[in-house]
Order: sequence, then C-alpha cells, then structure tokens
Amino acid sequence: MIDLSKEVRVDVGAIEKSLAALWREESLHPEHAVTRAALWNVVAHTCSAERHKFASETLSAASSSVPQRTIVVRATPGGEPELSSWISANCHVSGEKQVCSEEINIVASGSQVDRLPPLVDALLIPDMPVAMWWVGDLPNENERYVEQLLDPADRMIVDSVFFDRAADLDLVRRVGERTTTAPGDLNWIRFEDWRMAAASVFDPPDMRSRLGDIRRVRIAAVTESGFFGEWIEAVYFASWLSVQLGLHVEEDGSVGEDIAFELQRRSGGIAGSIAGVEITFADGATATISRDAERGVLTTTVNGIVTMPDAITRTFGKRPQDLIIRLLGQPDADRLLPKVLPVAIRMAKRVA
Amino acid sequence: MTTTAPDVEPNPLREGLEQERVPDASCLVIFGASGDLTQRKLIPGLYSLAHDGLLPAGQTIVGFSRSDYTDDEFRKLMREACDKHARTRPVDDAIWENFAKGLFYVRGNFDEHQAYVELKKRLGEFDKTRGTGGRRIYYLAVPPDYFPLICELLGKEQMVNDPEKDGPYTRAIIEKPFGHDLESARELNRVAVSTFRERQLFRIDHYLGKETVQNLLVLRFANGIFEPFWNRQYIDHVQLTVAESIGVEKRGAYFESAGITRDIIQNHMLQLVSLVAMEPPVAFEADAVRDEKVKVLRALREFPKGKEAELAVRGQYTDGSVLGEEAIAYRREENVDPKSNVETFAAMKVFIDNWRWADVPFYLRAGKRLPKRVTDISIHFRPAPYPLFNKMSNVKMQSNILSIRIQPDEGISLKFDSKIPGPTVRTAPVTMEFRYATSFGAEPPEAYERLLLETMLGDSTLFARRDEVETAWDWLDPLLVAWAKDARGPELYPAGNWGPPSADALIERDGRSWRRP
Repeated sequence: MIDLSKEVRVDVGAIEKSLAALWREESLHPEHAVTRAALWNVVAHTCSAERHKFASETLSAASSSVPQRTIVVRATPGGEPELSSWISANCHVSGEKQVCSEEINIVASGSQVDRLPPLVDALLIPDMPVAMWWVGDLPNENERYVEQLLDPADRMIVDSVFFDRAADLDLVRRVGERTTTAPGDLNWIRFEDWRMAAASVFDPPDMRSRLGDIRRVRIAAVTESGFFGEWIEAVYFASWLSVQLGLHVEEDGSVGEDIAFELQRRSGGIAGSIAGVEITFADGATATISRDAERGVLTTTVNGIVTMPDAITRTFGKRPQDLIIRLLGQPDADRLLPKVLPVAIRMAKRVA
Repeated sequence: MTTTAPDVEPNPLREGLEQERVPDASCLVIFGASGDLTQRKLIPGLYSLAHDGLLPAGQTIVGFSRSDYTDDEFRKLMREACDKHARTRPVDDAIWENFAKGLFYVRGNFDEHQAYVELKKRLGEFDKTRGTGGRRIYYLAVPPDYFPLICELLGKEQMVNDPEKDGPYTRAIIEKPFGHDLESARELNRVAVSTFRERQLFRIDHYLGKETVQNLLVLRFANGIFEPFWNRQYIDHVQLTVAESIGVEKRGAYFESAGITRDIIQNHMLQLVSLVAMEPPVAFEADAVRDEKVKVLRALREFPKGKEAELAVRGQYTDGSVLGEEAIAYRREENVDPKSNVETFAAMKVFIDNWRWADVPFYLRAGKRLPKRVTDISIHFRPAPYPLFNKMSNVKMQSNILSIRIQPDEGISLKFDSKIPGPTVRTAPVTMEFRYATSFGAEPPEAYERLLLETMLGDSTLFARRDEVETAWDWLDPLLVAWAKDARGPELYPAGNWGPPSADALIERDGRSWRRP
C-alpha cells in the first residue's frame, strides 16, 4: 500500500493526471480497500504560509465528516513569479474501509496569481457543489479577482471575525444578491447556540406572545482590542433578532420601534464572542442568557425567578473544522443570513 | 413533513436553526418502564435527543411500572441503560444531569386504579413546575393484553383529552404486535379508539424510523431518473430479504405464539413492500403517504386456496453454526416447545395486482439463524433485449440490479455491465456504490429517536394507520390459517443456511435465483 497522506510534488499542468496515477497505483493493492469519496469541492484561498497550513489542517479534519476534493490556494501577489503544486489524500477509517479525499495545494505569487482562477476552475470535480472559503480578510481592493474565483462557487465561506470594516460585510452581501453564490459566514455559525438559547426562551407557548413585549436587548461582546470583527457576533445577534421580530432598522443602525438595542463591550473571555444577552420586557421582567463557565453550556433565566439550565445543554464544537462541517453539512444555502446581512451592515455603523 | 395540529403559532426565532421544529414540552409516560425496551431503546433514545438539543426545556419523562423504585433509583437505572445503549456515548455528565432532572417514576400495577390517580396528580404537578401544559404522551411499552386495561383506566380518570375539543394534546404510542390475526387486530383497534381518536394513535413500526427506509421515498420521488423505470415495463422482479443471524434468544415464549411471519413479514416487510411499490403521494404528509401505502396492501394478490405452498414456504432452523459459532436448534431454545411447528423462516412470491406492477413478482424472505444479519431490497431490471456483446461466450446476459441496503452498512448500489479493458469487447458486471457512512460520515440517529420526536411533534407519517394494519392482516390471515392446518409443519434447515431447499425452489422454478445480499 502506498502512503496516500504523503505530499507528492507535481507539475501544475499534470495535477489530474497525477491524481489518477495515485489512485491507479493504490488499486493495485486490493487487500487494502480504499474508497475515494467527495460530496463537495472546497477551495480555500489563503495569502500566507501560516494560513495555508491552517486551511489545509482544518479541511483535512473536516473531510472525515464531509468528504471533499480540497484545493488549498496560496496567493501572494507581491512576490517573485511562481506557480507550484503538490497533491496528497486525507484518509480516515470507516468500518473496514479506508475512505480518502483528495487534496491539491497550489502556491502562486507575483504575476502568476492571475492564473489561479482558471486553474482552480479546471480542477473542480464536475457535478459536485463548490464552496470557496476565503481565509482571512476580504481583499476589497481587488473585487474583480474575488469575483473570478467565486464564479464557479455555489457557496462562499468567510469568517467575519477577521473583517476590519463594514465594507467587508457589504461585499459578502453583494455577492449574495448579485450572483448565484450563496454567502456563508463561520462567525454566523459560531454563535448559533446563542440563537438557539434565545429561541428556547420563547419556545414555551405562554412565552410566544411576549415576543411583542420586548423593549430592550442588551448584548455584551468580548472585544479585547476593539477590532471591528470582534463586534460582529453581537451585531449579528441584534440584527437577527430585529429581522425575526419584523423591526425596521434605520440606515444609521437605530431601531424605529419601541425597542432599544444596546451593544456593550466586555473584557475577559474569547475575543469576538458574545458574553451575555439581557432581554427586558414591557413590564420590566427580564430574560437573560449567559454561559455557565464551569460546564461550558449556555443557560437561560426568565423573570429572574425560573432558571432553565436545561434550555441549552449542548455546546457546539467551535473549532474551525466543526464550523466548516456544520456549514457544508447543510445542503441548502442559509436563507436567513442574506436577510440579516443588510441589517447587520446598518447596525455595524454603531461600532465601526 | 408537516406537523399536524400545532398548539400555537411557530416560534419565529426557530427559523433557520438546525432544529426548526422543537416540540412543546410534554409529559411522556412510559407504561412498562422497567422493561427491556425502555432500557435498550426508549430512554437511551430520549437521552440522545437531549444530547442533540432536540428535546424542549421542561420535557418530562415518567416511568410507570410495577417495580418499586424511587425517582433517584429509576434515574440511576436509566443512566446505566444509557451508558450501555445510547447512540451518543460516552454519556455527557452535564447533559445527563439536565436530562435526569426531567426523569420521574410512579409505581403501580396496570390494573390498579389508585396508581392512575397518583399518576394524574404527579402529572398535574409537572404542568406547574416544568411547564408541560397538560400535554400528554402515553407510551404503551407493554404486551397487548394490557392495552384494554390501560386505555380503560386512562379514560376513566379523564387523562385523555379529546382532540376535537380545545385543550392540550394527548397522544398514545402503541408497540407491535398489532394483533395476532385480523380479528385480534380489529379488537385491539376497537379498544384503542374507544379511548383515543385515530389521529391520537401512533403505532410504532421501528423500520419506518430507519434513515434508509425513509430514503426509499427520497430515492424514488426526489430523483427524476428512477421513477420512469419503476414499473413492469423495466423491472423483472423485486427481492426483499430480512435476515437475522441470531436465534430467538430470550423471546422463545413470544416467538412460539408469533413465528417469523407475524413477527417480521406482517409489519416490517409489508411496510417495505408498500414503500417500494406505492404511487407518488400528493404531498409528504401523514395521510397522503399512508393512503398510497394502503392501496398497495389492498392490491396484494390473495394466496390461492389449497395451493398456498406454490407461493409460500416456511422453515425452522435445526442445529448448525452461524458466523463460526455453534447454534442450537429452535426446538432446543429456552421456552420453546420441543415439538414446535412454529416457522423461523418464511419465503413467498407475492404479486401486486395493479397497473404499475401487474405480473411482477416480489420475492420476500425473512428468517432467523441465517448466515448474517442483513436487510436488503433489490430491484432486478429486465436485461437488454438483444445480446450485442459476448455473443461467442456462454455468459448469460446480466440484469441491472439496484440494491438498497437497509442495514447494516446502509447504502445503495447499482450493478451494470462494463467493457473489460483490452483489444476485444468483453463485458463484466461492475457496481456503483453509495454508502451512508462514507458520504455523510455521521452516525444516523436510531429509529426510536426519530419516532419519539415525530410523536412529540404530532407527525404520524412514519407510523402505521389502522387500515394499514388491518389490510395487512386481511391478506396474510388465509396463509397463516392454511399453515396452521397443515400437519407437515415447517421444512427444517441447518442454522447458518439461507433457509430450506424449497425456498430456493420457489424462485428457481421461475428461472431466477436469490441474490446473495
């Protein structure tokens, strides 16, 4: 049996041929059953060796749950012209079989960066959906390049915790509105447990009618440096609640109705995460959501009297691979994020 | 699927979340809580739902049985059960702690009126302390003999709300067997509907909770490629196999009164047949799906009186070996009559007399102590009309086979011919395979988890309706009567074989053979 996980340097023009040879060689060893699997083409775009390594490791871990052809691209427009590639396989054991997904790595610098979009396009498995993961901040200054790479993509994945301005959110919104590429944000997935916790407060039928009685929502965000991306979870939470409650949000981020949204800065904890939510009703009663530090789970408290620690007992995995798995595990594009993004862009003005 | 009869407007904050449908908290009362089913399937299944965040806050589970436990003793016992049987193991202490807060126990005999009074009182307390709002689900994990008694006392204590009137829901889950024959099934249904309305009843056939069984509908009706070929024009025959490698284990007494036909064919296999053969439903909703399934059952051709043996064979295992282990004969099993004539294997050729399936045989076989545990459906397509290739060889033209593996190693494969590389045109069969584990990685939820959740949500699509159960018995009863009268009894087969020789003869006289699943 050959070692499929070993990186094999290959000529850029012969990547597919080299992959075929790799599998042909493996098939000569029928005693070691290897199954090749793919449900997605996942292209990770990076701009440094460190992020390239991070993307490769993350997608390798994710491939055991979401088999995929992984293409990790490192583009550094400023360097000497270079275009090189290597291939390997990410394998895991499933039952008696070893299941492997292919990984292609491409490094381009200088003028060779322009060759990446058509090269990536040619390496995609036909009839399989394409996800384009933009690792790091979006290059707003080179929108044409982003559009070219996104052209074949069904899903765009960003992580808005890296965003340095509201224009990045706006670029994601525009992609969602103007193209067939559906936006996905790891940061949006990351705080899903907070949305679940908030939803659970209103699951009991007698609480459902109190949605209309909300008067103030106070969201505390952990922001160590005050960096824009560290506010986005909290901004998303406020925007999501506004959208689901059918509230109108003004261009300057204020809410016209009788509801006040307050975003507060908190230190201590994971930067960029929500630290707590307090919802105040018309009669002065409150519902709070906080994290039980000891058990690592979210708890909800309604009216300050009835504590419902069993409202949320699960903590979602929040490693990048967990988020990628959850995002790609949803066959349909997120229909809520495109509704929330325009509101989030307005609300972000409060913290920008 | 749609949830029937929602109590209040959906929660808008649930939109887009992984679990868009979270049921309202209810009291789930398990009658027979000290039994095997509760410990192996129900509580571990409920725990796994809690683990996956699918149970609502305040969901309350109340065990009811004769054994003398306190709440804490019951919790301890159930924790041990989850440690052994939960899908999501090891059990997470934090999640268990929360889950266990909703676990309670009420001791009582099923015929003890006072026990129901006590049960009602405690359920009322939970409504106040846990927000269960009067919603009730009664899980009757008890032998059918107790159904009338439990139904009567629940009714007498006014513990069942009429869905025709305003108020919280009451639902009842009934475990198979749904009767022993048509008459007893009708009686059981009559008793059940004297207390509950049909739409409050959830008859569990756990096969319907399996992902691969549900995928049958997706395969057929979500893919444009298959349905045009899914008829007598293109399909030669269909085979269904439900094989178990184990014997009757500790269920000897039950099996003596049932046999494999009642235990497997009347319910699980006929459910599979109806899903394979049904017409597209007008919607993926409970009654629309079940209407189409029952039409298939109504179209099953009757066994010709006096000639049943031409279409059905029965067998019983003798000493042998399975998977390298010695296996004793059925008649030597615990609680089994040494002269028993109960069948542990049955095979039959079945026809569905309707426009789509006229004269297409469905070959069914089910048995215990067969070489391996496997449930498999294979659709055998008609061969190409003319042998263009392999003319010079004696190779018989192969059928294309679409195989749907229900368990284990769930998946779908398609067999077709391909050219063998080389200068001459020679063909060989190859398979194209899809495996759940390979493609989706994640472990599918246990059937009971899905079915418990569907009950809480009030969706009965995956449950058997009264007319399905009675129509299945109506078709099968004459065969069972004929077998009961036939003194020859079942044909013997050594444990570890695919049934008796007459099972092979049943299909071979049609020029076909059983597929090795």
